[in-house]
Amino acid sequence: MKRIITLLMAVILVLGMFAGGAVAETAKSKIVFCVNIQPQLPVEYWQSIADAYMAYNPSVEVEIIGQPSSNVDVFQYEKTLLATGQFPDVMVMQNPADFVPSGALLAFDEGELDYLLDPNIGKIDGVQYVANYKKQVIGVFYNKDIFAANGLEVPQTYQAFLDVCEALKAKEILPVSIGIKDGWPQIMLANMLAGTDLLANDTSWGIQRNADTVKFNNPQLVKAMEKYQYICQNYAGDSLPSITYTQMLEQFFTGKAAMLPMGSWVNAEVAKAEQEFEVGWFPMPGDDNANVLSVFVNEGLSISAMTKYPDVCKDFVKFFFADKALYSDFLKGEQLFSTTKESVPYEMIPLRKYIEEAIAGMQEVEGFESMTGDAAFLPGLKDYYTNKLTQNIAIGNDVATELDNFDKEWDIAKEALN
Amino acid sequence: MKHNKLYDTLFLAPGFLVYIIFMIIPVIMCFLYSFTNWDGISASFRFIGLKNFVNLFQDASFFQALKVTLIIMVLTTLIYNILGIILAALLNDTGKLLGFSRSAIFIPTVLSAVVVAFIWSYVMQTNGGVINAIIEMFGGTKVDFYATPMTTIFMISGIICWNSLGFFVVIYISTLTTIPQEIYEACKVDGAGWFYRFFHITLPLLAPGITINCILSVAGGLKQYDHVKVITGGGPGGATQTVTLFGVEKAFEYNRRGYSSAAIIILFIIIVIFSIVQLAISKKHEVEY
Repeated sequence: MKRIITLLMAVILVLGMFAGGAVAETAKSKIVFCVNIQPQLPVEYWQSIADAYMAYNPSVEVEIIGQPSSNVDVFQYEKTLLATGQFPDVMVMQNPADFVPSGALLAFDEGELDYLLDPNIGKIDGVQYVANYKKQVIGVFYNKDIFAANGLEVPQTYQAFLDVCEALKAKEILPVSIGIKDGWPQIMLANMLAGTDLLANDTSWGIQRNADTVKFNNPQLVKAMEKYQYICQNYAGDSLPSITYTQMLEQFFTGKAAMLPMGSWVNAEVAKAEQEFEVGWFPMPGDDNANVLSVFVNEGLSISAMTKYPDVCKDFVKFFFADKALYSDFLKGEQLFSTTKESVPYEMIPLRKYIEEAIAGMQEVEGFESMTGDAAFLPGLKDYYTNKLTQNIAIGNDVATELDNFDKEWDIAKEALN
Repeated sequence: MKHNKLYDTLFLAPGFLVYIIFMIIPVIMCFLYSFTNWDGISASFRFIGLKNFVNLFQDASFFQALKVTLIIMVLTTLIYNILGIILAALLNDTGKLLGFSRSAIFIPTVLSAVVVAFIWSYVMQTNGGVINAIIEMFGGTKVDFYATPMTTIFMISGIICWNSLGFFVVIYISTLTTIPQEIYEACKVDGAGWFYRFFHITLPLLAPGITINCILSVAGGLKQYDHVKVITGGGPGGATQTVTLFGVEKAFEYNRRGYSSAAIIILFIIIVIFSIVQLAISKKHEVEY
């Protein structure tokens, strides 16, 4: 009998502890924040945001999760979480168009993102699902010492760019560092050319494509992709398929290649100051001028439509931008451009300052495969563009045929949505 | 000790449960999804009959992936078994370096496929790769292993075999040890040479090992994913993409889980057919003594 009483008391005690724990749990609102872990933005950085918010709002607990491996894209990881019923409350979002059809994202109300410079960017059917937190520009980083030693000027037209490449090739210097092994780095050059030859002339082209009133296989895009192919085939060396992003950087920063077409995050590499030359930057020129700038504005913070705490999540998103110290740390890692109305100063390298001055007044177009909102590629097409289209064109396949295939993929993707 | 069916069931249950949860149920679900339009993330989907299968048979990229998969399967199966038998015959002897040689061949099998693929992809680089550096050091012209999709597939197959050959050699060695020495001795007395003994005794009596190795190598070749993923990611332009890579790409990047499931079900059927045919052929050639 004594044993039974002791056992019952122990059970009651344990149950009481669990009950107490449950009360303590319910007192706090717990939200899960899925982040994009990168070398410049390690999990510690994201944890500092969570810690700061929990200090600011002690009634909330923020748990940080991130993609399990560096070779898993955060948006693919988020799809897995959604499919398995573990969709986070707040998350870094790169491809909202992939998630919106399933009703997974919470809409921001009109005026809620007024602290952003352009709260309307990337709206889907007039609704905003992402608080865009950074802008990155694409351009050509170049070795100023090589240019100076060979008497070369920054090109202002596409023909002048080819002349520079030809002059470098004649001196047995690799003109452009490009590789297609990783799948994505080559799209920077392709995007810039699609920007100068297509999007700059028709800023609503992406929306028209999604309405199926235009095709990928059109004279402007064929021209842009033929330029891209010409550069890849003639000025990017003989081992395009085996070159990774890391090797592209290595070729450029060790002085083996004179130019690197890439996003402004390369400033973070320049900031390390390990190169023995001065780095310059220019936008990829079009036929007549160098006045078109391709930008990425496709990443920000989104909230799950299934969250139990929508108000807390919205407050957390606002906090991310409002805490200037944290936001400037975020921008500083990759020397990014802020998206808030209020400027966010941080320690910039001279090249980053130069780029900011140089791009003033330029016509901005979105990175071709990363267009946002109603212009965004249908699910899967971004991957097709990076892993199939631009790779096949780079290795010499017929441009018009490849763009035809891209149109067929669009038909399939559209059908899959219905 | 009395045989108790209840104990049998109890001891079997945990393993069987794990097998059901992680193998049987996913296969059944994959089969069901292959008849749906599920995007992998929405809460709902609808059954669309055989549409995914019809679309697959009209999809050139699926056939390209199937072609690559079959090439890798054939190449790896040939290398595993031809080289495996030769090495097993050489290592099934006595000698000073036998232990070292056996270990050297087996060690790569304990290494992670991802690590092996990563290292070899750098070793085989056109510019800066160790192999080309050595070739150039001796005055040769560097080889571009990534020059065409076919050379890349050959390279990948070679790397896969380097990684797993030891496993197949071990199976052949263990089969060789079951062959009675008396048969060899009787054959020697009759004046038969090494080649005669190999083709008329060793090879026929190795049939059980060949059967299991062929089934494993064919199934492994058809399921190939990790090496290709690391070395080329299926590129350039999907030219080295296998069916498993195709399935993962369609499921997680294209939001077409139903379509992806259909591709994997076709691969599953191909593996089952190959295995049944192999078993039937191999059983015919197995010799009893």
